[in-house]
Amino acid sequence: MTSQVSPQVAAGQEGRTPVGTVHVVDPHPLNWLYITWNTMEEPVRTDERGHMVGAVLEDSRWTGERTLEIDVRRGIRFQDGEECTAHNFKRAFEEMQRWKAPHPPGSNLNIHQDTTIEIVDDYKLLIHFPEPDGLVLGKMRGMHIPSTRFWEEIGFGYRKLGTGEGHW
Amino acid sequence: MRAEPFACTWLDTRQDRTDKVVLTANADHWNKERGPRLEKIVFHNDISPAEALNLVCDTEGEVDIVTEISPADIERVESSEHARLHAIDAMRIILGLVNRGVEDAPLDDARTRRALNMAVDRDRLVREGFGGYAYPAAGVTPPYAIGGLSDLQPYPHDPEGAKKLFREAGWPDGRALRLATLADLAGVAEMFAEDLRDALGIEVELTIIPNEELLAAQHALVEKVMPLPFDVLVFAWIDLTSDAPAAFMHGELYGETGPFRAGPPVEKFENLMGEFATEVDAGRQGELSAEIDRFVYDEALSVFLAYPQALYAVNKHVNFVGYATTFELAETEVKEEHWSRRNGS
Repeated sequence: MTSQVSPQVAAGQEGRTPVGTVHVVDPHPLNWLYITWNTMEEPVRTDERGHMVGAVLEDSRWTGERTLEIDVRRGIRFQDGEECTAHNFKRAFEEMQRWKAPHPPGSNLNIHQDTTIEIVDDYKLLIHFPEPDGLVLGKMRGMHIPSTRFWEEIGFGYRKLGTGEGHW
Repeated sequence: MRAEPFACTWLDTRQDRTDKVVLTANADHWNKERGPRLEKIVFHNDISPAEALNLVCDTEGEVDIVTEISPADIERVESSEHARLHAIDAMRIILGLVNRGVEDAPLDDARTRRALNMAVDRDRLVREGFGGYAYPAAGVTPPYAIGGLSDLQPYPHDPEGAKKLFREAGWPDGRALRLATLADLAGVAEMFAEDLRDALGIEVELTIIPNEELLAAQHALVEKVMPLPFDVLVFAWIDLTSDAPAAFMHGELYGETGPFRAGPPVEKFENLMGEFATEVDAGRQGELSAEIDRFVYDEALSVFLAYPQALYAVNKHVNFVGYATTFELAETEVKEEHWSRRNGS
């Protein structure tokens, strides 16, 4: 399964300075999702052809039919300066699991309600599934990992509206 | 999603957008090679698509990128002084969802569904309906998907063979075929209806669902409480990755818990999906994804029409990087000649 997600190696620190402005009109009904993908971290993302590549998830491996071990990428900082660790991964997962249908595109992206996360250390975690889930890495395309401040102040709408259903 | 109304957790995502959404570069992002390469992106939700098309084609500094360009506007973009057309092979399909649950017509018979597929002139559809910016569909999985590749070829355009098969399956004399679609697919549906009339010699009643009735129609399809008011629904669907198409495309379209399933669950499909969903070996999972696509093709569970490209109108001084499954702009950058760099914006 590891081979389904190609590693994405962080380049050196020399990167270019962002420059210029573009104005966009995007009438696509999934614009809300595209904005999210443009601004938030995810365990995995896709390359231009749609192939999954690692993002916060630097590498992963099945250690049995029901346990997925994940290495969390080091050196990720959220926009507010907080470092992204396995604890942020676990918090995002547990916030998502609160809802019966956290994803507007469909509940087939749901992860089994009895799934749990065990933190090994700040950069490694184990996901324990009640039954094998061969599609979980693809489902993680719909899992967004924000900073602690996001959950405390906004939380996909439910800090203000009282529900998270439908606000992903 | 399940058929029981109180177990269905349908979600509305139709909410008013703010007039503008401004993204500013996070220059501290870990993946510096990818980006961001732009300092600022402004999404304008207060400009209509028609107005945006005029602005990107006729001006500089107003609108740089317009998504979801209609095939009808391709020539407008291609002849523009300021804009260029970008066509991306996208994980998208347009197909006819066949309602296998109707009681007065043999849509539960694969021969009928194959006949519908053989009635379609896909080359004409691609040429005239999409301006050439699409591929004829063979199954659900596009040929450029990374996972689940197969060697399927589109059903042949064979009007005589289609008519013979259609009669063999026992389509009732005088029974019109009820075709439905959404407003933005009306042109495709009209061409499809012409093909059905010409090949099968039947009446086709085409219903264009108005935008104001879209939500109710979506509820009816997803909840599956009342009989569906169509025989075939011309419908567009997508994937979020291209690694395992069966997970999000086939599962949503035909699975027992799939919101767009039209007709009873299919036992063999469920067995294949069950094996696919619990398979943790990537190689075997790819084989199963291809097997699932072949099964839905052989059974003609849908009328496979076309894989449309995603079309963008982009200012000529923008180096646009398009994606098969998303609209992200981390790698997109502007040249020195771009208005924002000339102006220092």
